[in-house]
Amino acid sequence: MVSLVQEIDTEHEDMVHHAALDFYGLLLATCSSDGSVRIFHSRKNNKALAELKGHQGPVWQVAWAHPKFGNILASCSYDRKVIVWKSTTPRDWIKLYEYSNHDSSVNSVDFAPSEYGLVLACASSDGSISVLTCNTEYGVWDAKKIPNAHTIGVNAISWCPAQAPDPAFDQRVTSRSTAVKRLVSGGCDNLVKIWREDNDRWVEEQRLEAHSDWVRDVAWAPSIGLPRSQIATASQDRHVIVWSSNSDLTQWTSSVLHTFDDAVWSISWSTTGNILAVTGGDNNVTLWKENTEGQWIRINYESGTAIQSKQPSHLPHSHSQQQQQAPQQQQHQQQAPSHPGPSSDSEHSSNLSNSQLSN
Amino acid sequence: MPPTETLRPGERGGAGGSGGAGPEQTHIIRQSSKYYEHRDSQATAMSVDYTGQWVLLAGRGHLALQRLGQDDGSLRRHERQSKYEVSVAEFAICPSRKEYCAIATSQHIDIVRWGVAEPHYEMSLRGHTRTVTDIDWHSQDPNLLVSCSIDTFSHIWDLREPRKPTVSLNAVCMSGATQVGFNRVSGNLLAAAHDGDLRIWDLRKGSCPTHYITAHLNRVHGINWSHKRETCLATASQDGTVKYFDVCNPRRAEKIITTMSPVWRARYTPIGNGLVSIVVPHLGRGENSLLLWSNSKQTDPICSFVGHTDVILDFAWRPNHESSTEIELVTWSRDRTLRVWKIDDNMLKLCEPSAEEEESRFEPDLSELRVPTPPEFLHPRSILVAASLPISTGDGACSTLPMARSPSFGGGYYRREEPHMARSLTDQPTCSLHHEFSLLNTNMPHVEVDTLDAIKRYACFKICAGGHTVILQVTFATSYPSPSAPPDFQLCQGTTLSSEVSGILLKVLRCNALQRVKKSRTCLEQCLRALVGAMKKKVAAVGGADRSQLLLQSPRLEGALSSTLHDACIPFPRTSGVHFNATGMLTTFAQPVNNKRLTLRQHSALTPRTFSAINGSGLLGNVMATAQRDANASFYLQERMISGKPGKQRAIRQMNGSPVVHVYDTSSMLHISRSMAREFSLDKLNIAETCRKNGEICRQHGRLDLVPVWLLAELIATPQVPHETLNELLFYKDPFKKSLLESLIMHYASSGDIQTAVLLACLFDKCPTGGSAIMDMASRLPPQLNSQISPYHTVLPLDVKSSSSSNTWQQLKQLRSNSWSDSLDQEVKQVQSDAYACSLIRRAKVPLFDQFKRSYAEILFGWQLLSKRALILKHTQNMPPPVQGVEFVTECGSCAKPKRTPKCEPCKRPVLFCVLCRLPVKGAANACLACGHGGHMDHMMQWFEKHQVCATCGCKCLERTSELLALLS
Repeated sequence: MVSLVQEIDTEHEDMVHHAALDFYGLLLATCSSDGSVRIFHSRKNNKALAELKGHQGPVWQVAWAHPKFGNILASCSYDRKVIVWKSTTPRDWIKLYEYSNHDSSVNSVDFAPSEYGLVLACASSDGSISVLTCNTEYGVWDAKKIPNAHTIGVNAISWCPAQAPDPAFDQRVTSRSTAVKRLVSGGCDNLVKIWREDNDRWVEEQRLEAHSDWVRDVAWAPSIGLPRSQIATASQDRHVIVWSSNSDLTQWTSSVLHTFDDAVWSISWSTTGNILAVTGGDNNVTLWKENTEGQWIRINYESGTAIQSKQPSHLPHSHSQQQQQAPQQQQHQQQAPSHPGPSSDSEHSSNLSNSQLSN
Repeated sequence: MPPTETLRPGERGGAGGSGGAGPEQTHIIRQSSKYYEHRDSQATAMSVDYTGQWVLLAGRGHLALQRLGQDDGSLRRHERQSKYEVSVAEFAICPSRKEYCAIATSQHIDIVRWGVAEPHYEMSLRGHTRTVTDIDWHSQDPNLLVSCSIDTFSHIWDLREPRKPTVSLNAVCMSGATQVGFNRVSGNLLAAAHDGDLRIWDLRKGSCPTHYITAHLNRVHGINWSHKRETCLATASQDGTVKYFDVCNPRRAEKIITTMSPVWRARYTPIGNGLVSIVVPHLGRGENSLLLWSNSKQTDPICSFVGHTDVILDFAWRPNHESSTEIELVTWSRDRTLRVWKIDDNMLKLCEPSAEEEESRFEPDLSELRVPTPPEFLHPRSILVAASLPISTGDGACSTLPMARSPSFGGGYYRREEPHMARSLTDQPTCSLHHEFSLLNTNMPHVEVDTLDAIKRYACFKICAGGHTVILQVTFATSYPSPSAPPDFQLCQGTTLSSEVSGILLKVLRCNALQRVKKSRTCLEQCLRALVGAMKKKVAAVGGADRSQLLLQSPRLEGALSSTLHDACIPFPRTSGVHFNATGMLTTFAQPVNNKRLTLRQHSALTPRTFSAINGSGLLGNVMATAQRDANASFYLQERMISGKPGKQRAIRQMNGSPVVHVYDTSSMLHISRSMAREFSLDKLNIAETCRKNGEICRQHGRLDLVPVWLLAELIATPQVPHETLNELLFYKDPFKKSLLESLIMHYASSGDIQTAVLLACLFDKCPTGGSAIMDMASRLPPQLNSQISPYHTVLPLDVKSSSSSNTWQQLKQLRSNSWSDSLDQEVKQVQSDAYACSLIRRAKVPLFDQFKRSYAEILFGWQLLSKRALILKHTQNMPPPVQGVEFVTECGSCAKPKRTPKCEPCKRPVLFCVLCRLPVKGAANACLACGHGGHMDHMMQWFEKHQVCATCGCKCLERTSELLALLS
């Protein structure tokens, strides 16, 4: 089901921390502790098309903007800077904007849905979130900061997809201009927070508590228009939690997707919002899908079918987690010791072990 | 630089007790008694030997000895070949080994004996697997020393048996040890800091820790055992507190000193009852303070030592074996100066607890020390107490003068943004200008002294702060500093400030000067500090871009130190990652982490959560190494790079492998396929036929599960009563088909197969046979086309053209043009709303399905199937983008209806004529907002290049339009 398109030797001189394909899937951007961002052609394994140098420390994450703004890439680094790069050709990149108003490492960047314009959110270890808006007409950037978003630090950030007009009403009444910008962030205070833009100010709309350790990654599921929202959060406490809400985004219910062997730090939703890719400290990449009963099952890369159905030992396990609906932290805390390293998933031959397809 | 100091006795309510300063009411500000500057030294560690004569400065490139007490300031340098920074250096503290010192570099500890001429490397202690972070000599046994390391172990070494540690203490925790220390009194206890926790071992009781102390919320930077009480120790932490613990009662700290910034070190004074701490300002903005605290009073420090302009790296006590009343403190800072400070018995006396202590908790008045913003500074000064304390220092007398303080300004000790300007305030009474100049601190940050001419009574300064330069000339009247003669300030050529800002700064200067001279005091230094403060503030207020310049003023600090102090808050770097892009391509990578060298995972299966766990540079010893690291060296594996070894990059490769990124195509798992998307047809001429074709495409691409669905769709599309035009509406009213189709679409959408859902939704979208007029005309069409003609189809079938009347053609054309353009005439709306009557999709579902279509269109955009995308978008409802700004609406001359099109369709006449050429305008048009005259864009531009007024009415179009636009925005 999953076919390897290309294996790219990044030739980075140090650890790679993030890799992202652009909208079209043609260009790959990687960032590394060697302080550089490299651009590759995703279909050909040749040398890097370009190497973007400008950071003085490890670069943690890169994010591509929607192509309607041009080829624009943002990178964030330990050196407290966020750099927005722009290219004319895939080989020629210039620094479009540099933001250095954070007081600590910037851990995550994410571009807003293109409907809102060229808007970038940055999460930093200084505890604040910055929202940078580019006036594309004049090329002027405006920065808005949410101070003290999370105590100790913000680790991850993700935008809510542009809200669809409520289908219950006639579309002509609810115009798109009323769409509200929302963000989800995860931090070192073990919290997941949802932020809403309210008259030029960002206010905390929801606070989701369930994790018992630092939240390492958050991802708001892309919406295809269905009246529901999902947020996946990954944490140092080895849990990935999927939060679901109806269209009004007020009531969030949590369900633990799985308890992994090690801290989980990177999650990503597929574009249709039905498959979640997860990886963490154990370096295994797993794919998860929600079945019609609302259970999360791990899927086999080759056949696209569920793995766990073949593993009866796992089924009750996931059942017990599914029943736990409300965010009840006590339950998590009880649960954590009761599953001291759930039977290792690495025995499944279908791991993307070391990111390589091995089944 | 002459030392200056100020003693501030507190107000005693006018009571006569002026004999000596009340111990709890004094805050001393003191500058160093000696200082040595070593610009070229890159030392990261410092130690003072047993005799107190020699100071060792150890860095990557050299070891150097500085002899104290001899003021030539020259260093005995010894080159040293090492790739690594010295993380810690310690002279032995027992007299029998006084010429020995231990120097930790990377994972090894070298024992160096200082001979007459040069150091001899006696032995190397090897046993740690990661950077050694701290060393401590045993105070009783000259052969023992303990070292701790990032590898979490603390090793006790016996110099008689240097090959392996005699005792290895395992902390059994994830975080490396940062500090270690034998207790001073007995030497039986050993404390090591791991992150925020302390482990206490009793060497008599084996290698298991006897106590665990959860001391701090954040990393502990310094441990110091009391010189008097066996079980007492003080810890300094990143969380901004210094805590006093008694290991017999490990559950809570006995006392806590709270500051606003991380505390780097806290050490008991060897005699007396004091403690000296180094506070590291957050992010390098703030004060590099060295504070003396009384052990009995934690609210405010007894004394602050000012002078260092950068972070203090380490300090040591200079043993003084003769005198028991005076001690000296030696500090080494990143500003590359070594300073010696005296702590005399007066200060030590202040540290002693007093009887009144408990009843009169006293808050020092720091408001005076703040940046004197004019109105605040005018607080009423209370009675001046003329108590003077003669304090003699080794280097000469200096005036010690009382200063009045206002009791109304309370408040705990706290740190501010620009505190350093508050510190070494010197309050003098009337004295000569010459004296003032001689007392002026020439080392003020940001201030360069250009000229000081006491005879001509003027001074010149160059102040660079906040990215701006100010050349300030100060002229002093002969009567200065009398209340009526403040100095005159002028900003001279070379000042890079706007006149507006200059005015504000001058005001600040004059305000400050006036306040001081009012009381007949000198004002120069205060004014300069206030100016620097004001300049920084001005720039800080300007905001982000300029602030970065501010940060750069201390680049070393910015780059390395403060950030490493924050590493504990930064998450552990990801070694693997996943990312889906918009078209279902998955990017993954994972790098094996070398547990042994990189992290401390042997004690736990979990990956550590913080960056500080991986990076040994959280210690000061490695800070500079990080800042100046080799571009090729790995950020995490500095120790691995052995100097002189060729092919550095290869070294990493072997260890790590080059990071590889895999790109997968997961689109089939997401049930979307580019090739299928390209082939799918949306031909509505014969929906049933299209369904069959699409089913065939699914079969060819292996999506056998979809074949029955398309068969079902074909059935839905087939009218039960063929060619029965009159029953056309009945076909669309079939409830079974409607709900079947809807549930099919919803099923596929919610299961993620958006491609199938959207194709079904588009195919059974609104059907052409809508409004009655069209209905009639459609009945005249050839029967086989009845139900299938789509006005939305781009290419109209030829037979429609040939067979239909011109009237029908016209109507169809109009419908088509409106399907994706913005013009919505009333008539068309009518037709559209009626179209739902003969659609298999209920109107309530249309917005939701439109959203599906838009999402799918976005995927098609990602696949660069632009025409397919346009085709899908044609099936969505019109959503004219909300108009931003001004929109022209023209009015038809005959029907007087507002039109957005160049032509009024019903009246068949153009609506806008150019005022210049009098021809109808079809393309780009422009008009005046005031008078409404306008026309072809080109003509308008040509006209207004030469003219100011309207061609028709004489209205000042350009002016008035811009006024109106300004109003709107």
